[in-house]
Amino acid sequence: MRILNCPLNGERNIAEFSYGGEFHRMPEPSNCESASWAEYVFFHDNEAGIVTEWWYHNATSYWFLAERNTITDEIIRTFPASDIFSDRVDFGDDTGSGTK
Amino acid sequence: MKVNTTPEAGALAPTHYPRRSQLYRQHVIAGARFEEVAGSVVVAEYIDKTDEAQQAAKLALVDLSTLSRVGFKGAGAPDWLEEQGARLPDSPNRARRQGDGSLIVRLSTDEFLFLCDLTSDSTFTARLWDSWSFQSTKGVYPLPRADSHCWFALTGVHAPTALAKICGIDFHTHRFSKSEVAQTSLARVSAIILRDDLATTPCFLILSDVSSAEYLWDALMDAMLEFQGDAVGMVALRTLTTN
Repeated sequence: MRILNCPLNGERNIAEFSYGGEFHRMPEPSNCESASWAEYVFFHDNEAGIVTEWWYHNATSYWFLAERNTITDEIIRTFPASDIFSDRVDFGDDTGSGTK
Repeated sequence: MKVNTTPEAGALAPTHYPRRSQLYRQHVIAGARFEEVAGSVVVAEYIDKTDEAQQAAKLALVDLSTLSRVGFKGAGAPDWLEEQGARLPDSPNRARRQGDGSLIVRLSTDEFLFLCDLTSDSTFTARLWDSWSFQSTKGVYPLPRADSHCWFALTGVHAPTALAKICGIDFHTHRFSKSEVAQTSLARVSAIILRDDLATTPCFLILSDVSSAEYLWDALMDAMLEFQGDAVGMVALRTLTTN
């Protein structure tokens, strides 16, 4: 049984978690090129080595980040998303009419 | 399954009330006598069972699903709740008893669950609900929990061992302290489990998605069989609380 250390709930069976994909900084949605937005949304780097990934604790709907070695599958550390994000992302027009 | 839920003349029945537990048919089949608590009904006791308090001290399951509860979350929630007089747990995954007997469970830094006391006499939760408004309370969002979650109590000295059969967390009382909370997978469904002892008897309150209520009740009853656990009513819980 693999154990993942959730920043909110502590050590848990990895069956309680879902993988959420690679972590990448979101480009500014109001002024980025379509190509860079598509790169952010659709493509992964799939690197061999230590990468940062989103993980999700199913029981608490809690998203957090983990550094994992994709060669050895060793989890280096986990940390809350608030370590990186301090402010709510403002998408401007919240009516849905201003989407790119 | 078609169940005759017609009450005997003069008897209190869940079908007399608009709000009832998802498990009420099972309680009727098991011979439950119901009592009213704060406008809805709970199982007071099962007619053909003897000494439910003794059963609850060993291992028992109680359905509390009709008792009141509510949640609040948001970046402004901790400050607003303290302004309203709430004594919040210091850290996530802890619970704290309030002056009126209700319980505040801190699910994360900014999310809280309020559970009424066993007699549903506590008024704090209802007062908070009335105080909140979208216009005046910035960064605080109410979470109606009464219809989203079922609510059980698993009591008795064998409760941690029974839980060990269906959950990866160690709930033995020397490992899982009073007022500690675990949000985890229980019998493969997500659940909030908190330790809230009845005087000296271990008691674990369990809240899970309401759509899994019947499954989880059956899974817990099955896990308890090995230790001669059984369903009991609220009278037994109140007896243990005052012992």
